Amino acid sequence: MIEVDGTLKSRLAVWLLVTVSALGALLLIEAYLSSQRAAERAYDSQLESAALTIAEAVQWQEGQPVVEIPAAALQILATRHQERVFYAVLDADGQRVSANLDFPIQADWRKQVDEHPVWTDADNLGAGWRLHGREFDSAGWETQDPVQIWVGHTLAGRQALTGELFERAVTRFLVMVLLAGLLMLLAMRVALNPMRRLRQLLRQREADDMRPFDARVPEELRELAETLDTLFARQRESRDALLRFTADASHQLKTPLAGLQSTSELALKSTQPDEWRRALAAVHDGAERTSRLANQLLSLARLRHVADGSEMRRLDLATLLRETVFEWAERDVAEDHDLGLAKLPSTPLFIHGEPWALRELLGNLIDNALRYTPPGSMITLGLVRHVDEVELFIEDDGPGVAPEVLERLHHPFERGGRQDTHGSGLGLAIVDSIARRHDARLNMAPHTPCGLRVSLYFPLASQEDTP
Amino acid sequence: MIARRLRTLAFATLLLAPASGWAAIPLVVEAALDREVVAPLLEAFEQAHPDIALDFRDRSTLEVDERIAEADPAPDVVISSAMPWQMARVNEGYARRLDSAEARGWPEWAKWRDEVFGFTFEPIVMAYRLDLSRHMMPPATHADLHTLLTEQLELLRGRVTTYSPSRSGVGYTLFQQDARYTTRFWDLVAAMGNADAVLEANTRAMLEGISEGRYWLGYNLLGSYAMVWAQEHPEVIVQVPQDYSLVMMRMAFIHRDAPNPGAAREFLDFLLSRDGQRVIAGETPLFSVRPDVIGPYTAQRLRDQVGERLYPIPINASLLAFVDPQRRDAFMARWQREFERR
Repeated sequence: MIEVDGTLKSRLAVWLLVTVSALGALLLIEAYLSSQRAAERAYDSQLESAALTIAEAVQWQEGQPVVEIPAAALQILATRHQERVFYAVLDADGQRVSANLDFPIQADWRKQVDEHPVWTDADNLGAGWRLHGREFDSAGWETQDPVQIWVGHTLAGRQALTGELFERAVTRFLVMVLLAGLLMLLAMRVALNPMRRLRQLLRQREADDMRPFDARVPEELRELAETLDTLFARQRESRDALLRFTADASHQLKTPLAGLQSTSELALKSTQPDEWRRALAAVHDGAERTSRLANQLLSLARLRHVADGSEMRRLDLATLLRETVFEWAERDVAEDHDLGLAKLPSTPLFIHGEPWALRELLGNLIDNALRYTPPGSMITLGLVRHVDEVELFIEDDGPGVAPEVLERLHHPFERGGRQDTHGSGLGLAIVDSIARRHDARLNMAPHTPCGLRVSLYFPLASQEDTP
Repeated sequence: MIARRLRTLAFATLLLAPASGWAAIPLVVEAALDREVVAPLLEAFEQAHPDIALDFRDRSTLEVDERIAEADPAPDVVISSAMPWQMARVNEGYARRLDSAEARGWPEWAKWRDEVFGFTFEPIVMAYRLDLSRHMMPPATHADLHTLLTEQLELLRGRVTTYSPSRSGVGYTLFQQDARYTTRFWDLVAAMGNADAVLEANTRAMLEGISEGRYWLGYNLLGSYAMVWAQEHPEVIVQVPQDYSLVMMRMAFIHRDAPNPGAAREFLDFLLSRDGQRVIAGETPLFSVRPDVIGPYTAQRLRDQVGERLYPIPINASLLAFVDPQRRDAFMARWQREFERR
């Protein structure tokens, strides 16, 4: 089920927007502060010039400082923004020698000015002011007392300059964002192009075209393309396997049917009732074999295509094994062989499994052993408990299987190179399918000194897990 | 004629407004500006704004300055020719910003902070009595005046008059400005002192003295008053100095605590408007500042006549230096020293 969850474009756009907004906010705050600083610096230096100009006019007459305020100093103070201006010249005792406004100069400001020039903000006479104070040593004939010069002006010019600088910064920023947005749109189109190409390739594919991709993709899409390739490969394999299986099954069914046909034709040509009887017996045998083959094919198909494990339950593997072996030991087919059980562990061994499937598995294993070993061979089944799994084994002392064939033994219609029996070649394939359903591993190894040992490792069901 | 018009005006304000039953908005204008001179302008304002009851109080510059800080209730509009004092008051925050198209359009050099506006353009002149020209070549420049004062010392002794810098704010401002332009000004002061020049507190007193024959020559008179006087007193000749001529501007602002700021805005807007300036240019000798106004008394026309030798006292922060007490003391000390130099 495909659920559409927004578009990549909108996701990218949202992230971009969030990032740009957050960064932009920081940037604008910084721009405002730096505009303020720049304006502050520019106008503070005017205050300084005015103070210096006034200092130049300070003279000493009869031990008293006298200052003839220069008009230029006031014009510097006022700036082109026509600020209201303030000046005061204080003597060493803090007394006003000259001042134009009744602006209180605080004692701690005066103390600071002793050490270094001071810039400070203050509110007075219904306006905000920026003040600057500095001290000047004087060398008169009668006295060497320093004088303090305080100047100040209102803030219109600073605010105007801050606003102007900030406005410029904002304009630059907005233009940048616009350009970046446009470029980003373009970049998104270009970046998403490979996706479009991949989509087109997929759409153009024929329904049964399972070939790997032939496309140029960026690194980010490589995984997706490879996964698709793997998917195609698996589809291809399973389709091939199905075709092979169908062909093999048809072939296997054809042989006994051809035998039936020829036998019955021969019988029809004969007039001897004895001949008829023999032929009928042969036909009966052939029909029985064919029927068994069809049954096995059906059960394999069932195993392969009925995927749900609804019949899975907790069961004791030892009990199941004992029952099945006893049942087989009593059959006629087992009378020439020595079919037996190894000593079973004393405690029950619980696994999750389907009883019918496990019986089918054991049946196929025993049937295989009976068919592919000479009469008189010893066939032993048993269970070995490991840490978290249980091993079910069956071993014989027959001729064994060539190592190079072992790997393929569980493929359908593989008879280990033997054509001398009536086996269908499906037994181990069924065993393999059932083992897979039970998450069990199938292992086949030569048995020493001779023969074959087939092992199945089932995961143990946990103890607490009661049925 | 002016007097008659004034009476009609007074009647109009006293009788008409209450009789008509309007709740006229009172508007108090404290002004250092002769009522007779400015009457046509006030009349025009009252016609344009019949709903405002204008109370125009003509005072000396010193009184006006005092009333800015002390009057309770505060006046609505303050007009004064004592430019540095007006400036100082504005700097102290007594003015209210005028935010109007007229204010924004006003020339930059004739306003400060959009709070105070120079709305007249009055040249500073010399005036002499016709008798003078019978004895000597009348002065046309400051240098001429200095030469006359030294060469014709005996004839002119006691017959020269000028402002007293201590008793008149306008006079003090003019001398400060003179001293900024040339140091030879002090020679002129010394020469006037030598000639026992008589110091008067206002232009009117100087003009009356010249008409009566007590004085032959006056220095640094307000051209606006002198020109009106000369029209009715043919024995008085007005001379705009040919080397440089100072120009004084009346400065008007709305008081921060104006009881009727709306009416005050109307009044100031009218002063700056084309209509108000046209009255100034046509019916008063105060000279209009606006370049788009035509009439006998405009700054433009004066420039055309006198040339580029007009030096308006700048309306900017440098004016504040003139009211600095120490600077004033130093200036007055120097004045005394020079004036009494023999």
